[in-house]
Amino acid sequence: MASHETVKDENTSQEAQELSNKPMINEQLPSIEHLIYQPLAPIYLKMRRRFNLFSTATILLILFLCQKQQFFPLPSQALNTISYLILAIGLIGILRYLYIVIADKKKYFALREQDITYRCGVIFQKTVTQPILRIQHVELKRGPLERKFGLACLQLFSAGGAAHTFEIPGLLLEDAESMRQFILDHKTISNT
Amino acid sequence: MIETEKTDFDMDAEESLPHWQRISPIAILYFIASFIKGLLSNIVVFLPALYFGSDFIMENPTLWLPVIVALVVFLMLGTFLSFYFFQYRLKDDHIEIRSGVISKKHINLPFARIQNVKLEQPLYYRWFNYTCLQLDTAGSAKQEAKIVALKTDFAEQLKAKILAQHLAQTSGSTENSDSNETVDQLLDNQNRPTEEIINTRSITDLIIHGLTNNRIWIFLGGLAPFFDDFSNYIVVFFQNMGIDIQQLLTIADMPIWQITLYALTLTFIFLFIISLFSIAGSILTFYQYTLSKLEDRYIRRSGLFTKHEVTMRLSRLQMVIRQQDWLDVLLKRINLKFEQINVSVNQSQMNAQNDKIIVPSIKPDECDKLVNDVYPENQMMTITYQKISKRFLLKNLGFILTPLFSVLALLFIIANQAVLITAVLALYLFLSMLIFMRWYRWGYASDENYTYIRKGYLGVDYYCFPTYKTQQVQYKQSWFLKRHQLCSINFVLAAGMQSLPYINENIGISLANETLFQAQSTKKSWM
Repeated sequence: MASHETVKDENTSQEAQELSNKPMINEQLPSIEHLIYQPLAPIYLKMRRRFNLFSTATILLILFLCQKQQFFPLPSQALNTISYLILAIGLIGILRYLYIVIADKKKYFALREQDITYRCGVIFQKTVTQPILRIQHVELKRGPLERKFGLACLQLFSAGGAAHTFEIPGLLLEDAESMRQFILDHKTISNT
Repeated sequence: MIETEKTDFDMDAEESLPHWQRISPIAILYFIASFIKGLLSNIVVFLPALYFGSDFIMENPTLWLPVIVALVVFLMLGTFLSFYFFQYRLKDDHIEIRSGVISKKHINLPFARIQNVKLEQPLYYRWFNYTCLQLDTAGSAKQEAKIVALKTDFAEQLKAKILAQHLAQTSGSTENSDSNETVDQLLDNQNRPTEEIINTRSITDLIIHGLTNNRIWIFLGGLAPFFDDFSNYIVVFFQNMGIDIQQLLTIADMPIWQITLYALTLTFIFLFIISLFSIAGSILTFYQYTLSKLEDRYIRRSGLFTKHEVTMRLSRLQMVIRQQDWLDVLLKRINLKFEQINVSVNQSQMNAQNDKIIVPSIKPDECDKLVNDVYPENQMMTITYQKISKRFLLKNLGFILTPLFSVLALLFIIANQAVLITAVLALYLFLSMLIFMRWYRWGYASDENYTYIRKGYLGVDYYCFPTYKTQQVQYKQSWFLKRHQLCSINFVLAAGMQSLPYINENIGISLANETLFQAQSTKKSWM
């Protein structure tokens, strides 16, 4: 369900456009320090939490059924291992849940006239800024879960390579679409 | 069909060829060669089967003869079909290539999208005056197109046409207004400017390059199938010289000094052989190296057997790297690399080497001249570099290496292992020295147009890129860094990522802001 547009990369501009960048009036560069951040869609946080609970519960249930079933009698050693596994997976599930609750609240994005910034990380905070002029193409990625919750993941590809694809998860579909349109329009404005 | 096409080549190369063309049958040679290459690189898979079956096969000539005949026939048929199905045409400034016997491939490439034009002339093409034309796009490696056999003249004309086409396209835009003249000159055949050779490399230079840079993998790649034979041969060779390696390696009741002496001798001989191979590899790749300049294009030509020609437009240049290993520092030689977009991610190292524009082992003054030629007004060697924070040392030495060493040392002291303690201590000191040098070398600077980064351990590498070519900026800060007002900055370029760890928070933010501003405000295309 990924929609996909290729952005024209040839400059055919005749008239030079004024670069609109408000803080220039103050003779000061716009700073990534003073960005107005927006959180991700609350429903995305909900989706992630629920999915984590659900996946952990499913694995636990399968293990539990394996332990209790009578069709294929398992040796006692295997039964012991399964008990430990259930304990470990349950613990990991709880820790992951806590981590997701904390980490997802630390994910922000900010949109400026000339670039998009995404910020994440609990202990290691990472702020990635993608200038819109350098974007090669835009993709909206929607998995089955995202489709069900009306969410989308915005992917911006630059020449920096696949490893440095700029990605904002958990956007409402209409927000993601309008952001994509903003990027595509921006491109045409600056190039014609 | 083939004859008419041949006359076409010389008659009207400037015109398009709207009908599907077949390449010269000489391409069959190319297909055979690439088939054999593929077979050799996969021979490891077949070797065990061949080995175990060899007796059986030898005893039944009636069986293997037909098999070999069948294989040869299959090879002939396969290469002929590859040749037969390989067609191309030039239409409306697009190049289209159809190829493939069983799985068909159709590539349609507009000239304007072509990033790089490369000419590759394998040894067996040289006598017939043919060449391979390879076209790279800025996008994925999948989109690469290669026309495997063209008359050299025609390939040259086509190359000129593609490059001229690109100039004509971009000249309309404001930033390239001064290149209008160039286009006219290029299109006007009588007035074509001549190439200017700006650097050549002699055999001496290549030998130095082979010594300072390990080029052995050029051989390792090609020789992998023969390793077994090769090592056997070495054993025999030493036996003939009166040294029995096998006996040497079974450490008997020999005094320590004797073993050490043997070990040293063996290491020395081994290093010597490796250096010889490395030198051979260097000569193989860079024989008759020339770097020339034609208008805004830099052209690298080299190669002993297969001649490579790589052309790069100046605007495609993303970053210049001035590289010096520790041996280079001693010999005062430099490897200069012109980095373009990293298209060839999946290609093997050997191919990547051939694709790049690298000037091997040049002297400092030559290097400065070249760098100034591509990036005028750069201050790569004159600007003062700011060192990264000393906390880099504290983290790596204080929090990682020293505790690790202490634990190990304590363990060995308890176990009373004097030799191991000395070894660990030596290793600790060596690693500490490396970390210190890492910190000492790591520096950054920027001016109006360029960003500079200096890195290295014992050697030193200088990176310089026009700031506006940055694709993405990453600002990183952990809790611990934040407490000390430090941060890390990553610059993502089309030629890869460059990072600056442990720099002052405010400097980091202003570097990021400045870089973003340059990338956003300039109307210059990054490619």
